[in-house]
Amino acid sequence: MPVHDVLIIGAGLAGQRAALAAARAGATVAIMSKVHPVRSHSNAAAGGINAALNPDDSWESHAFDTVKGSDYLGDQDAIEIMCREAPNEVLWLEHAGVTFHRSAEGKLGTRAFGGASAARTYYIADITGQALLHVLYEQLMKHHEQIDRYEEWFITGLAQDDEGNCVGAIARNIRDGAMELFTAKSTILASGGAGQCFKPTTNALICTGDGIAQAYRIGAPLMDMEMIQYHPTTLQGNGILITEGARGEGAHLYNAEGERFMEKYAPNKMELASRDVVSRAEQTEINEGRGFPDGTVALDITKVPRKRTLEALREIVNIGRDFAGVDITREPIRIRPGCHYIMGGVKADINGATSIPGLYAAGEVACVSVHGGNRLGANSLLDTLIFGRRSGEHAAARAAGMPAITASRAQVRDQEREIADLMNRSGGRRVSEIRDELGTMMNEKVAVFRDHAGLTEAHEVVRRLKDEARFATIDDRGTVFNQDVLGALELGYMLDVAECIVVGALERRESRGAQFRTDFPKRNDDEWLKHIDLSMNGGDAPKVSYSPVTITKWEPQERTY
Amino acid sequence: MKLTLKMWRQSGPDAPGGFQTYVVDGVTDEMSFLELLDVLNEQLVGEGEEPVAFDSDCREGICGSCGVMIDGQAHGPQRGTATCQLHMRLYKDGDTIVVEPFRSAGFPVIKDLMVDRSAFDRIIEAGGFITAPTGSAPDANLIAVPKMDSDRAMDAAACIGCGACVAACPNGAGQLFTAAKLAHLNLLPQGQPERQRRTIGMVEEMENYFGSCTNHRECSAACPKEISIDFIAMLNRDYRKARR
Repeated sequence: MPVHDVLIIGAGLAGQRAALAAARAGATVAIMSKVHPVRSHSNAAAGGINAALNPDDSWESHAFDTVKGSDYLGDQDAIEIMCREAPNEVLWLEHAGVTFHRSAEGKLGTRAFGGASAARTYYIADITGQALLHVLYEQLMKHHEQIDRYEEWFITGLAQDDEGNCVGAIARNIRDGAMELFTAKSTILASGGAGQCFKPTTNALICTGDGIAQAYRIGAPLMDMEMIQYHPTTLQGNGILITEGARGEGAHLYNAEGERFMEKYAPNKMELASRDVVSRAEQTEINEGRGFPDGTVALDITKVPRKRTLEALREIVNIGRDFAGVDITREPIRIRPGCHYIMGGVKADINGATSIPGLYAAGEVACVSVHGGNRLGANSLLDTLIFGRRSGEHAAARAAGMPAITASRAQVRDQEREIADLMNRSGGRRVSEIRDELGTMMNEKVAVFRDHAGLTEAHEVVRRLKDEARFATIDDRGTVFNQDVLGALELGYMLDVAECIVVGALERRESRGAQFRTDFPKRNDDEWLKHIDLSMNGGDAPKVSYSPVTITKWEPQERTY
Repeated sequence: MKLTLKMWRQSGPDAPGGFQTYVVDGVTDEMSFLELLDVLNEQLVGEGEEPVAFDSDCREGICGSCGVMIDGQAHGPQRGTATCQLHMRLYKDGDTIVVEPFRSAGFPVIKDLMVDRSAFDRIIEAGGFITAPTGSAPDANLIAVPKMDSDRAMDAAACIGCGACVAACPNGAGQLFTAAKLAHLNLLPQGQPERQRRTIGMVEEMENYFGSCTNHRECSAACPKEISIDFIAMLNRDYRKARR
């Protein structure tokens, strides 16, 4: 039974940053992931990371942009911390060997990004996430004597003691199917988002909401779950992301009639309005018949000088060529809004602490809430690093003052039994079928535009799928790399998360940020300037409660771009 | 279109492996190679057979998870792409495709098409990092980095660690991966203090797992990020300097 001070679940940017911070604070650390750390989905973050680092920029300006971007649902104390600490974090990364883009004079270069009042996005071409992830991984390797890595282990549940404290997790070794209890004084969830609840999505296959559901199942409240970001530029069909960096570099959006339609929706910021605004504009154009027949509009990157595109947007040049058969330097590419990010997650404070003692959360799995109703582009990498580090530091400090803990192995046996039952089922629907039905339905009913009827229907479908999932069958009954078992467990997580998304969206009877209700098209600060918290309620739909939004400097105003 | 797949099946690390032949129908031009494997797996599951295990995650060429030998070529015949970026429009009805895991003594097979690439981690562990000064960081703009160096470091940092270079090399050499990781750090000002130690550590660790480079250049041809073998020249130069 491995014992550590701090156990970190997930090895993307938030998890690795937490591990480094906890190790530096003197804790013994385990970091665990269902994939190899450099395959984590932080990889896919393309555009960059925001920091007010230029002398003529200020963290207050960054914070205000973030608050406005969040449609005033973000907690301003947390946003202030994130924006204030951003410059040092970027410098730290630079020192660790991240090859941020340099100008001809050798200075750090920035690019413009959506919803930002200054060009403050630091970047590495359009592979920023990958470049950061690999450098953090190098740092993790540097501390290999203090940080134990458990790669390709799958968490089946969080472990608790009799008082309800989180004391680690139960995990299955994907390589051979063995179950193990990992005890830890502090546990940090850093397992990412839940984009796979939607189909298509920009998210990788591993983004199945595991951590969100695991925390929910042991009683941690979730917050802002209704806030799902639809990214304005994804490919039709497979949902592959075209970075916002393209618009940051100067690309324009056109409808099928050749009209640069953002003039109507955001006359000042145009294509660089915040993502919810641009996605809604595109969807309106498509719904009103001004899109292309395949339900898309056009992103014209030919406006950007070809040389610059080949240097700064090299990955999407490849994506255009490989996945759409388009040379983006010579012709427009068809795009549409697609599921990209969940602003909500496990409710956590500014140090990553959740309401369960001993359990922390950081990155996309968490809701601090710095993104509120809508996340600004290039704030997610920042969120993972700032709150990853803070969680790591606080988790280590908590562990330092604690006596040794005990955890019961009974929980392992329970989960072993559950998996054995799962493997022995027969006659039910296939896991992959249920997963497909869920994703397609969510993308239809819980998308850019929502209403009561559609959401009610979505809830009924999710409840039915939950029943079906209890009897769903898998085909692989082996122990070595049994991806079927993992798929079935992931489906359970996705259904819990999907239900919370739908219930949150039903509950919020207004339009704010990413949540647009056609039956309640206005923002209503009198009634809804508050977070919706959802807690597990036995097998029933989640219990709804509310918590206040923290406002420090910026009172809500009308939001225009 | 209808394709015949000669697929490597191996139930575990120590189990004997062998080729099985499967016919997959209804393959379309738009499918990626991984979607072809998905279709095959659906078919196998329908017939009560165990699906083929393979690595995949982002499916857009950035995570480095996927990677198989397709007709003897790492990531298939198309240049500059990972397996997930290879599309079936390259094939025609009636084609036969041989699919195997990456082959190298340094990458033992785990199951079917999945291999253990943790030897790469050992190489990084042996020095592939910067020991950044802690405490107050001077402004990154105080030390200007020449754009050419920064761009070259960035070209090296594009490595996604997929292992195609090793699989493509007749010697199973790990030079291109190691060279990319080394060059990324050795080209930057912050990488200078440990440059020699890093180079010796990583190169000698690499030799524990992988073969020797004899300039076949297959690595660069197979690399989905088209990393240049110039970086191998740099590795050799740095290593000789460090060992002098």
